[in-house]
Parts: sequence; structure tokens; C-alpha cells
Amino acid sequence: MSGSAVKPIGWPWLLAAPAVLWLVVFGLAPLVFMVAMSFWKSTIFGTRPDFQFGNYVRQVAEPLYGTLLLKSLRIAAVSTLIALLVSYPLAYFLTRLRGVWKSVFIIGLFMPFWTSYVVRTFVWLPILGRTGAINAALLSLGVIDQPIDWLIYNEGTVYLGLVYVYTLFMVLPIYLSLDRIDPRLVEAAVDLGARPWSVLWRILLPLSWPGVLSGCIMVFLLGVGAYVTPRLLGGPSGIMYGNMIADQFLNNSNWAFGAALGSTLVLVVVFLLLTTGRWIGIRQVFTGGRF
Amino acid sequence: MARPRDPFRAWKLALWVYAGTFFFVLYAPLVTIAVLSFNDSEITGFPIVSFSLRWYRVVFANPTLLSAFGHSVAVGLAAALLSTALALGLSLAFRHDFRGKGLLLNLVLVPVVIPGIIGGIVLLIFFGYAELRSALMTTVLVAHVNWVLPFAFLTLYPRVHRFDHTLEEAAMDLGAHPRQIFLHIVLPVIRPGIIATALFAFSLSFDEFIRTVFVVGEERTVPIQFWTMIVDRLAPELPAMAVVIIVVSMAAALLGFTYQRRADAAGT
Repeated sequence: MSGSAVKPIGWPWLLAAPAVLWLVVFGLAPLVFMVAMSFWKSTIFGTRPDFQFGNYVRQVAEPLYGTLLLKSLRIAAVSTLIALLVSYPLAYFLTRLRGVWKSVFIIGLFMPFWTSYVVRTFVWLPILGRTGAINAALLSLGVIDQPIDWLIYNEGTVYLGLVYVYTLFMVLPIYLSLDRIDPRLVEAAVDLGARPWSVLWRILLPLSWPGVLSGCIMVFLLGVGAYVTPRLLGGPSGIMYGNMIADQFLNNSNWAFGAALGSTLVLVVVFLLLTTGRWIGIRQVFTGGRF
Repeated sequence: MARPRDPFRAWKLALWVYAGTFFFVLYAPLVTIAVLSFNDSEITGFPIVSFSLRWYRVVFANPTLLSAFGHSVAVGLAAALLSTALALGLSLAFRHDFRGKGLLLNLVLVPVVIPGIIGGIVLLIFFGYAELRSALMTTVLVAHVNWVLPFAFLTLYPRVHRFDHTLEEAAMDLGAHPRQIFLHIVLPVIRPGIIATALFAFSLSFDEFIRTVFVVGEERTVPIQFWTMIVDRLAPELPAMAVVIIVVSMAAALLGFTYQRRADAAGT
């Protein structure tokens, strides 16, 4: 395409104008407005414009908020780690397939993820619940004589739910980066007597590192703002930061404070992207290196 | 000389076993929900009482559910159309080199990077102060296009980018007008890519929940209705409804895959 005498049709800014307008008006402006509102004040009479730091002082002064933020970061981090361990072997498996089998397994991997995560979270209720599949199986096998309750509504179920719902975002970038590795590299190492572990540690892992990092960032971002999974599977002890943000708008009508909590979450996300962006072109995370 | 023993044989076997387990865990919950949707029991779960289509009849006889379905299809079509059109302009623009291209790409990616819950509350605040009442074709449509647009662009751009530029050059040399070039040369080639993008966009919109929940008005979408039924009372027809949702989303996505393949075949 480069070096061609004739330019592609159209003026770039004119072609991009409708999308740019949309993104600025409905994407950027509301975000900026939320940050502005985080300095406002909400009272029982409503929310009014102001410039004060009360909403942020409260987040620091009351330990509840810091604790919950840390907990959400921890849950997101642990889920990311589990997703990585679960996804890496599968991504490698996919690169070893050829022809029809490859298409079958890749489409098979994608299919469940094209269904709403609300549905994919819900499906765990009739598996882990009192009348669920696991309890039914254990009861009929005589392992237990009463249904067990601790299978669901705890932090562990939140991990399970998040990993189940977001694994694809881990498998995909790892698969793409593993697939780019020249198979002769592995063959050469094996011919020279490398053991499986050293092939993994010294060839596959270092060369698929960008994919691993992409997947981790993606799953972490999706996990840290989770709302549906903790609400449906977490029970009272599984509540996360996203649930508290939502509460300020859906139940408490404390918009200014909710905006401040939201701004804090955005700040955390931006900080994360900027720090990891040093190791990896951050755009690659989301574009699969197409730009 | 043949190696006496392949040190990777056990690993290869382990890998297949692992992949089998992975796909089992991936699909087991979906299969379970499908089985339970045919269970003639007031309680969602086991034991299986008897086979019945009762819950499907309940789903298809419930006017609230049917209208939610209608709302989702309507907003899904609108969101798919709008986001694909915006993404097409953006993709054609990205074939050029222009100043601010990198910045624009960052702007496109903002809705993907920002957590969904933030994407919802910012619109709630924004439309609240713009005094725009929550409704399907205003607030919900905006929320959906916000979410879908980056993915539409990321799906469509590679297909537009691969387009053979010499075709355009030839047409231009023969004196074709840019609009003629677009309509008669570029568009026919990238059409499967556009259709694939629209189908994926529809599927994404059809499944959207977290942004919608903050800006939904009276006209509920399917995921919102589904959520309400879980939170309110764990309605017994939920498994049947889940199966219907799964079938619709997967059908749209499978069609999208088919067109994507066609687009990839045409692009090379």
C-alpha cells in the first residue's frame, strides 16, 4: 500500500468525522463529566455543583472503601492468575492442531463466549446451589446425606465465575503469540536434547510473553470492575467495588460520591495501563498487534 | 536414526486430556441448563422430575418476555447498523496516513479499557443532566453503540486494510470518480466483512447488560429482563429462557463466522 502513487479514496478526517464526533460526545464527554461531578456534593436535597474534596476524603477516612478496593484488586489479580494457568496449556494445544480440527476447536472455544455473561454466570446457580448438580450427584452417591451450602456464595465462587466468563480473553492473545513462534525453533531445541520443561521455560514462555501480558491486562480489567459475578455468585462476603459503585446510583442516590468512587476505579485502571504500557505497546493488548 | 523414546509423548497425551477437561468444564454448565430447561419442576435444579416443554410454553406465552425480545432485536439491529457505518468510515480513514492517527486509535479504544460499570454510570449521569429520559432508541442505543463500536472497528479494519489497492488505482487511471470507485469496486469486495461485522455487533448488543442496566427505561432488553427474574425470585422458566438466549446469540455469531471466512477468502 505504501509507495503507491494514488492515495486511497476519501479525506481521512471527513471519513472519520462521524465516529470521532460520536466518541467525543458520548464516550469522552460523559467520562470527563463524571470526574467533574466527583468534586460535587450530594445531599438529601440532591446533587449540586461544587469544588471540594469531601468525596475523596471520605474514601480515605472510612476504611470500608479502601478495604473493598484492595479486595477487588486482589480478586481480579487471583482470577487473572488462575485464568492464565488454565488458558496457557489450552492456547498451546490449539497451536498444535491442523486443518479442520483447528477450526472445530477454535469455533468451539468461541461459541460459549458469544452468549451474555449474565446467562453464563446464572448457569452456575443450578450446579453449585442446594438443588444443584453437584449436590444431587453427591447425595445420590451417598457421599453426603444433606445438601452442602458452602459450594456457592463465597469468594471462591467469584473466582470460578470470573475465570469461566473471561477465559477467552486470556486464551486468545496467548494463542496468537504462540502461533507466531517458528516451530523449527522448538524442533531444533528438541534435537539438541532440550527437555520439555526447558522448551517451555526458555523458548515458549519468553516468546509468548506479549500475549501473556495482553491476556492478563484484559482479564484483570474485566475482573476489577465486576458487578454481575459477585452479585450472583458471591453472596454477602463476595461483594466487590463495582457493586458499591452501583449502589450509590441504584439505591443511595449519592451520585457525587458514586462519581468519586468511579473516578478512583478509572484512576487505578489508567495507572495499571500506563505502568504495564512500558513493557508492551498498550495498543497491542487490544488490537492483537494489527497496528 | 529413530529416537528410542519420544520424551514428549506423555506430554502430548496430557495435553489432549487437559483440553478435553477444559472443554468439558466449558460446556457442562450449558448442557446442564439445557437439560434443566426441559425439567417439569417448579424448582430450578435436580432431581429431574419428567420431560416437558412447559417452561418453553411459559417463555413464549409471556408478553413481557416477548416484548423484551422485540426490544433487544430492535436495538441490536440499530446498534449493528450504526456502529458498522461509523466503523466503516473509521476503517476507510485509517487506510490513509494522517496526523493524529495514533491519538484517534486511543480514543476508539477508550470504551474497551474503561470498566463496563463506569461506561454505564457516566451515561446515567450524562443523560440525567441532559434531561433525556431513558428509552430504548436513545439512551440504550447510545450505550450499546459505545460498547460495540471499538469491536466493530477492530473486526472491520483488517478486512478493509487488506483490500488490493491496485484495483482502485486502475479504476482511477481509467477516470472513475471516487464515489464510483467506492460503490463499484471497494464495497463489493469488502461486503462480506461488513456483514460479518454487523452480525458480531448485533450479537454484542444483544448480550449487553452492565451499561444498559443504568440507562434502561420502561422497555427492558432480554438480559435486563433475565437479570430482573434472577434477582426477584429465581423464576422456574429461567433455564428455558437461557437456552433461547444462547441459541439466538450463537446463531448470530456463527453466521458472523461464516461471513468472516468469506471475507478472508475474498481479501486475499
